Amino acid sequence: MKRKATGTAALLLSVMMVASACGSSSNNGKGDTASPSGSASSSAQASASPEASQAPVEVTLAGWGSSPEEQALLQQVLDEFQTKNPNIKVKYEVIADQYMDVIKTRLIGNEAPDVFYLDAFEAPGLIEKDVLEPLDGYVTDDFDLGDFEQPAVDAFKAKDGKIYGFPKDTSTLALFYNKKMFADAGITAPPTTWDELQAVSEKLTKKKGNKVEVYGLGQAPELARQMFMLNAFGGKLADDQGMAAFDTPEALQGLQLVVDQHLKAGTAGQPSDVGAGWGGEMFGQQKAAMVLEGNWAIPYLQTNFKDLDFGTAEVPTVNGKKGTMAFTVAYVMNKQSQHKEAAWKLLSYLTGKEGMKTWTSKGFALPTRKSVSAELGYDKDALRGALVAGSSYATPWQAGSSLPTIMNNFNNQFIAAYTNKSSLADAMKKAQETANKEIKAGS
Amino acid sequence: MAKPGGKRRGMEALAGYGFMSPVILILGCFLLLPILYAIFLSLHKVNLLGHVSYKFTGTANFERMADDPRLWIALRNTAKYALIVVPCQTILALVLAAILNMKIRFRNFFRVAFYLPTVTSSAVLVLIFMWIYNRNGLLNYLLDAVGLPTYNWLGDPTVALFGIMIMNIWSTAPLFMVIYLAALQDIPDSLYEAASIDGANAWQKFWKITVPQLKPVTFYVLVMGIVGTFQLFDQSYIFSAGSGGPNNATLTMVLLIYQYAFKNMDMGYASALAFMLAVVIMLITVVQRLLFKEDKAN
Repeated sequence: MKRKATGTAALLLSVMMVASACGSSSNNGKGDTASPSGSASSSAQASASPEASQAPVEVTLAGWGSSPEEQALLQQVLDEFQTKNPNIKVKYEVIADQYMDVIKTRLIGNEAPDVFYLDAFEAPGLIEKDVLEPLDGYVTDDFDLGDFEQPAVDAFKAKDGKIYGFPKDTSTLALFYNKKMFADAGITAPPTTWDELQAVSEKLTKKKGNKVEVYGLGQAPELARQMFMLNAFGGKLADDQGMAAFDTPEALQGLQLVVDQHLKAGTAGQPSDVGAGWGGEMFGQQKAAMVLEGNWAIPYLQTNFKDLDFGTAEVPTVNGKKGTMAFTVAYVMNKQSQHKEAAWKLLSYLTGKEGMKTWTSKGFALPTRKSVSAELGYDKDALRGALVAGSSYATPWQAGSSLPTIMNNFNNQFIAAYTNKSSLADAMKKAQETANKEIKAGS
Repeated sequence: MAKPGGKRRGMEALAGYGFMSPVILILGCFLLLPILYAIFLSLHKVNLLGHVSYKFTGTANFERMADDPRLWIALRNTAKYALIVVPCQTILALVLAAILNMKIRFRNFFRVAFYLPTVTSSAVLVLIFMWIYNRNGLLNYLLDAVGLPTYNWLGDPTVALFGIMIMNIWSTAPLFMVIYLAALQDIPDSLYEAASIDGANAWQKFWKITVPQLKPVTFYVLVMGIVGTFQLFDQSYIFSAGSGGPNNATLTMVLLIYQYAFKNMDMGYASALAFMLAVVIMLITVVQRLLFKEDKAN
């Protein structure tokens, strides 16, 4: 079995090398023949003559997998687009696992899709590598740039101000709470401060002997979910040079709250403590009375746990300040794309008012355009209101191109502190040192 | 044969290489070239994404290893894993083979049953084991039933690697069992008969005849076992979703190489690490060979 695995790995590596070798050579070829504008200056191409309007152009679109309902909804948007643009055919691909690894490898091999999803947290890294097409030159007045929520667009801006992607949807974190458990414990309203949260967690935790059956709060001990706790007392993740800088008393103070509630109070746990895969599942199986999750959990809970009676509220304040995380995903265009005009048509339709309205109409995702938000009225929605409210004060899940390295080291060490294998201070010190070493060596 | 002259021999050689050419081409393209390319990469700082560039840096990638704490964690994990898994799976394989070599009822059924784990896809096995290791899974249920402490096998750094060890011993031992079984059947019966006449009991026969006779096979099994354990990847990859967590507990050498190559896109350093891993495995094999040879001389 292991030998087979190495065989596969070796094959993968060799295929990659061959692919990359072919890629670079065919790249040179393309420069001379296929694209008439030579080394493709984007803004010049934007207003170029309409490309071959007779022959249908095939544009590939790639994203990660999601629920069948979401897939069907996206297909509906794509069908609408194709009826409006009969000479563009959209080939939609789903990359099931390790999305970024696959996309990067395909970018190297010049086999990347024309348009693809990109999470804000990976955006600075790809922008720095110069593999994405700057989109400013394509934008027309009809597209209405000002309509987007500003932070969502800023997440895909380079340092020089060029925009490399337009947000397709976004979500913040909110407090999901189990209404029945709250009623049983005699709690009338969801907690609004972190002290209250800890107090109600105490009441909601149910133990059988030594074993916890229901945790008051389900936690996700990872950076993507805890960065706002790190910021709550004035800590920050990275400095201006992109080096990790979270080993400070301010940052530790917020994180300590998370760790202490698990280790000292015993009223919070991670999903694997109760045999669940993630927070939404833990909450749905009623093994946690509260979790901090995003919009994605709402359709999941509604389809998989139909009897569950739950509500949402804004994340309780920490240190007297509101805080939460914001996750944004954009459509970006591959710089090597052969059909940039068509790709832009697709991208601008998907992130335009019409496409976004259909895409977000069922509540699987929250819109990033103000006009669409206002039209769909999610700010007044019983479940989604809290998520929409969070966007005004949320910490975006992004911190420069070194974030993936920082995240990996943070997560590894934070778990050590979370499972009481080392003190939080030691763990964070180690995480910062290792991350900075890796960032320095890699640059 | 009289000297047929150089021409004929040349023709023969040409025909020989002609017949071998498909293999030479395939091995050359998919084995030799990648290895050479990996060595080339390991001496460069490579940027493949965006503006492709190769910058010769000499031994910088190798020097970087000394100062890479995650490499030492991965090496320690891998060594710990090999030290426990290789002896366990070898002994288990030998015992299973010895049992199957006896004249027991339903022998064919047991042969198939024992061999099944090896023919099952490792990805499927890992997913099944992740259910078994679930906090509310089968293993904890059994441990609880006999009054032993239960663990969060997937989330607790102290036991996560141990979980992978159990899974791997279980799934790899049958492969070596088959090799042992074949070797067992090669041992002439006359040796056992002679020992019986001398009044040896079953244990003595096993220890004095079977084990020494199996020595060459044991060498092979140990080498393959060590090579396999040092190249552990898929199990820890699926177990930790590619992160090597919790707390680097399941970070193995190959997983680390994968992370540098495909997550950080640092092909130069990843190739250097792969090269280093190959050297480590070769060294261990050479040491083993020496040990076994020494024994032979006695």
